[in-house]
Amino acid sequence: MTLINVRITCAALLLCSGFAVSNDDAFEIETLADGLDHPWAVTFISDNEMLVTELSGNLRRVSNGVLNSTPIAGVPEVLFAGQGGLSEVILDPSFADNGLLYLSFSAPAVDQPKLNQLNVIQARLEGNRLVNHKTIFKSDPPRKTAAHYGARLAFLADGTLLITSGDGFNYREQAQALDNHFGKILRLNTDGSIPQDNPFTKTPDALPEIWSYGHRNLQGLVITDDGTVYEHEHGPQGGDELNRVLPGKNYGWPAITYGVDYSGAMISPFTKQPGMEQPLKYWDPSIAPSGMIVYRGDMFPQWQGNLLISALVPGDVRRLEIQDDKSIKEEILFIEFGRIRNIVSAPDGSLILVTDGEDGKLIRVSAKRSVQEGPVSDIAASL
Amino acid sequence: MFKQIQAFLISLLIATFLLVTQTTATNLFWLQSIGMPVDMGIIVSAMATDLVGMNSKGAFPAAGLIFVGLLIAFITARIIAIWSSIKKPTLYAMAGGAALLAIVALMPLAFYNLDLIAGARTLGGKVYLVLTGVLAGYYFGSHPRKGGSNDTN
Repeated sequence: MTLINVRITCAALLLCSGFAVSNDDAFEIETLADGLDHPWAVTFISDNEMLVTELSGNLRRVSNGVLNSTPIAGVPEVLFAGQGGLSEVILDPSFADNGLLYLSFSAPAVDQPKLNQLNVIQARLEGNRLVNHKTIFKSDPPRKTAAHYGARLAFLADGTLLITSGDGFNYREQAQALDNHFGKILRLNTDGSIPQDNPFTKTPDALPEIWSYGHRNLQGLVITDDGTVYEHEHGPQGGDELNRVLPGKNYGWPAITYGVDYSGAMISPFTKQPGMEQPLKYWDPSIAPSGMIVYRGDMFPQWQGNLLISALVPGDVRRLEIQDDKSIKEEILFIEFGRIRNIVSAPDGSLILVTDGEDGKLIRVSAKRSVQEGPVSDIAASL
Repeated sequence: MFKQIQAFLISLLIATFLLVTQTTATNLFWLQSIGMPVDMGIIVSAMATDLVGMNSKGAFPAAGLIFVGLLIAFITARIIAIWSSIKKPTLYAMAGGAALLAIVALMPLAFYNLDLIAGARTLGGKVYLVLTGVLAGYYFGSHPRKGGSNDTN
């Protein structure tokens, strides 16, 4: 009787708090690959094959759960320093027909080798080689710092490409100016041209590729089935943000922020200002959000439409339920793997967690057959 | 000895205060330039917040960093003073400047060219911070004037 009371109390607390830590007994964990050198992004090219970027500059293929020892050839030279290197890989919406993919990476500026730029290229995957490279974006101006690149890519439903470009750390004030790429989301056609319906095409002195501005270091970018765009960005100490992004909007950094500088200095005394958007959610202390998906799989039906965010600090996954532009519930999952660099959903609905560092791993998380309902629901259902 | 410690602590306070308030001013000037409502109340509270924050909430306490820098620089200057004929206020001013120069120049090298002190991101900011070290060193070299080893050569 006492045990039942305790279980009822615990379940009630979990359900009412809107903030829960998972019961990991509900999942099957399998390491698909290890020994990856700072893995950063993963994309599935078929049900059984995925591509993995390593920040150090290699694009790797994992086939049927086995890491191919030979990296994919034809990847451009990258600047592997600080937070820079080979970052995102995503497939063209017509990849099955045209074999095109897109990579983002940092590389030295051609005319100023002490400076570097965020690059985005399009290339065709033929066998184990990239061919027909085409540079479609270089951030401007070049920066001296090797940090805050953003470097996430995502396709809108109209086939245009969104690129996140971080503030370069030293250049944070530039995030508020429209004449540069620091702290911006950019929208391009896949050939690098600029869509005519971008929000600042008619604004004097503004770069027409800018889609939104006032961002810091954006490492999560997803588009839901109804076209809603969410991004998350690293704040300084405190102030990591999840934003719903709309074209032409100013997300405030660094004029408004919930964080303070690494030196302990105040960056801004303001957290709100007319004309600047508020985050849907911010984290203080920081969780260092590093990647995000909208869960659309069948394996965890109770998570359909939820945002799953990987976090580097202390290292976990945050499951967020969003309703009416508010985060109504946050659950902490997978606390046992350390810093998680990214999260993707496999075609079968299982999750692939990418752990950070020079011995990075790909970890598959599947549902145990007997406990498909998930941890919190399980507790409630078992009462 | 007590007077030397007192002079060192005051020189540390001078450098710390000037470094912190320069970072505060850098941030507030920019905020005001883009039309944010910066008023006197915000200026005062921002300075107070940064004096506390930069010495207690950051990855490194500003005063601690400057303490180490000035200590090494002043000890070095003291050794040089044994055979140098440079006047002590000048020598310690150079040492203080070198300490701050080391802080603003070496820190980025350790952090992928990142300037963790916001006020040090521009050349003008770096020069100002070096000058705060010069001022702190000059104060230390000038005090105590009587009865101590800091008398000019």
